[in-house]
Amino acid sequence: MSDSLSAALATLRSRYGPQALRRGGSPEEAGAWPTAVPVLDDVLTSGGLPRGRVTVLAAAGRGPSGRLTLLQSLVALASRSHGTGYVDLAGSLDPGFLADLGADLDACLVISPGPERWERGLVMARSLVSAGMPWVGIALGWEQPRPGLWEHALAALAEAVAKRGAVCVIATPAPAAAPLRHASSLTLVCAPAGWQRANGDVSGLRVRLTTAKSKLGAPGAEATVLLRYPRPYAAAEVLGLPSVVVPRLQPVVVPVPDVVGVSAARG
Amino acid sequence: MRVLCARHPHLGLIAALRRYPELRGEPVILGGAPELRLPVVAASAAAQAAGVCIGQPLRQAQQCCPAAVFVPLDPAGIDTLRAAVCTELHRLSPTVEAGDEEAFGDLSGRHAEFPDEAAWASALARGLRGVLDVEIAVGVAGSRFVARLAARASHPGRIRRIRTGDEARFLAPLPLDVLPVDPAVTARLAAFGLDCLGAVASLGPADLQRQFGSDGLRLHRLARGEDGAGILPAPAQRVWSERLVLEGATGDLETLLRGVRQCATTLGVRLAAETLAAGEVSVAFELEEAAAISTSGVPAAPPGNAGELWTAALGLLGELQPPAPVAAVRVGVTRLAPAAGRQADLLRPGDGAREAVVATAERLRSRFGAATVRRPRLALDPGDLPERRFTWEVPVVAGSTR
Repeated sequence: MSDSLSAALATLRSRYGPQALRRGGSPEEAGAWPTAVPVLDDVLTSGGLPRGRVTVLAAAGRGPSGRLTLLQSLVALASRSHGTGYVDLAGSLDPGFLADLGADLDACLVISPGPERWERGLVMARSLVSAGMPWVGIALGWEQPRPGLWEHALAALAEAVAKRGAVCVIATPAPAAAPLRHASSLTLVCAPAGWQRANGDVSGLRVRLTTAKSKLGAPGAEATVLLRYPRPYAAAEVLGLPSVVVPRLQPVVVPVPDVVGVSAARG
Repeated sequence: MRVLCARHPHLGLIAALRRYPELRGEPVILGGAPELRLPVVAASAAAQAAGVCIGQPLRQAQQCCPAAVFVPLDPAGIDTLRAAVCTELHRLSPTVEAGDEEAFGDLSGRHAEFPDEAAWASALARGLRGVLDVEIAVGVAGSRFVARLAARASHPGRIRRIRTGDEARFLAPLPLDVLPVDPAVTARLAAFGLDCLGAVASLGPADLQRQFGSDGLRLHRLARGEDGAGILPAPAQRVWSERLVLEGATGDLETLLRGVRQCATTLGVRLAAETLAAGEVSVAFELEEAAAISTSGVPAAPPGNAGELWTAALGLLGELQPPAPVAAVRVGVTRLAPAAGRQADLLRPGDGAREAVVATAERLRSRFGAATVRRPRLALDPGDLPERRFTWEVPVVAGSTR
């Protein structure tokens, strides 16, 4: 360690206290729920969506982004193995489409708190997670109530999810609200990459997914998936496209043995 | 399974005649004053003989029978009578159901006190007659639907028993309008030239299903007396309450808080000892020289101990503004259920987490509305419209009676 760095550290410790500088640890460990979509499991995340954390599917901009289809695909996948809850704050759920995605409707509970009732929807989701619901998806609508009305409910939901080790995925339109960005452990930004056409018909939507935030690894990974719509005699599916895949960045190794982070302590 | 169905006059009519014994034998119409735009709920035999029908407007009933006496519904009297009927039936039957005009009891198996089913049914009918003080028509059969029709075919003071295997023969000559299905289905059956249940029963289930979808299979089972429906016992509503009489009426908030806290603590300890949680909490203030005021609510999480119950009661206190000094406070809990996630869950059959989720969904429906938590189900006969591809249903635990 250079003298100037040691002096700077000593100054910080004397000014803000010895706890102001702490040794940084490795990225937080969390169990993973595999989605069975290789691009999602291997490229964008480490083994799947994190358990006990809040995952956010955020739209990149206005217009269709594929986040709700992706969320419903994940709900359908989860319903095949255990109970799932779908909080429909967007008011756009078609259970028939959920069935087309291959969902086991017997395992799906649909919660409809009403439009713009974010607080109520989050409270209901928290109650179900606390009761043992292992997987919950929340579709937020375009009309966003004031964050002060629902941020406490979101914090309580995140706490319940962490306590029960549940999987919680929230789909939000752009721009994602600040409390949501804060509560998220993994944020995947969904940007439309064009319609997939076959024989002149639209057969799906290509979506570019980017890991905008990750408390479990390094952000920045990108991949493109195809949300293929249901066809006659075939369920809808999520396919990884052979596009240019940007691997996750490797964590930067700081050549300082005992100091990698500065806490938010204030004098 | 063997089901007993006892048909009796409407409990409201019996309660009214007990209250006004001088009206026995007179034309009595139950529903309220004829000026009200309400339907006739029940009518005595004399009123029905004068042309009064159940469901017709009260004003029209008055025109049919100008000499009739109109009495209002007495919900408290009906509840008292229903409880008495249930208690009497429970003496001799393990599962009972009491409606306004019918009561059901389970006669499956054998009863040690009676040599056969007929004696058992007679004892039940005698007990009911003693409670209600009217003659009762009784039917006994292998299913709810057939037992109900047997009771209709019986006469007051008589028992009509349909032996096992004779259901189809009993049902065969009955007209189609006894079927508990949509009248449009009955009309369509009649359009096919089917005029009795026997004709419907002679058709194959595939033919009926082709014409009526899932209703067709139900029709087939009903017409053959194989509906399999049993008794739907009302869930026992346990209500616990704790009342504290204050030393002198007071309006002091601190005193009221202490009183409510004491009641909540006592109840909470009792809940914890029984490993139960309350689905609904109520707080009431009994006022000096005024009617009591009360409020109730469904808490976010069902309280199961003193601390949780006190928190729930405290949340309700803000809604109570006593206009006069309070003489006593009362805290009540109802809709008691096993506390999910506690040790007692290990002793319950089934998947505890699933049951807890369903119980939570039920509580959320109570709190936020019936349409807030539902489960979609694909329709068997979807038709052309996208919204007909699925139906909504209330989630229940498989095998539960809820």
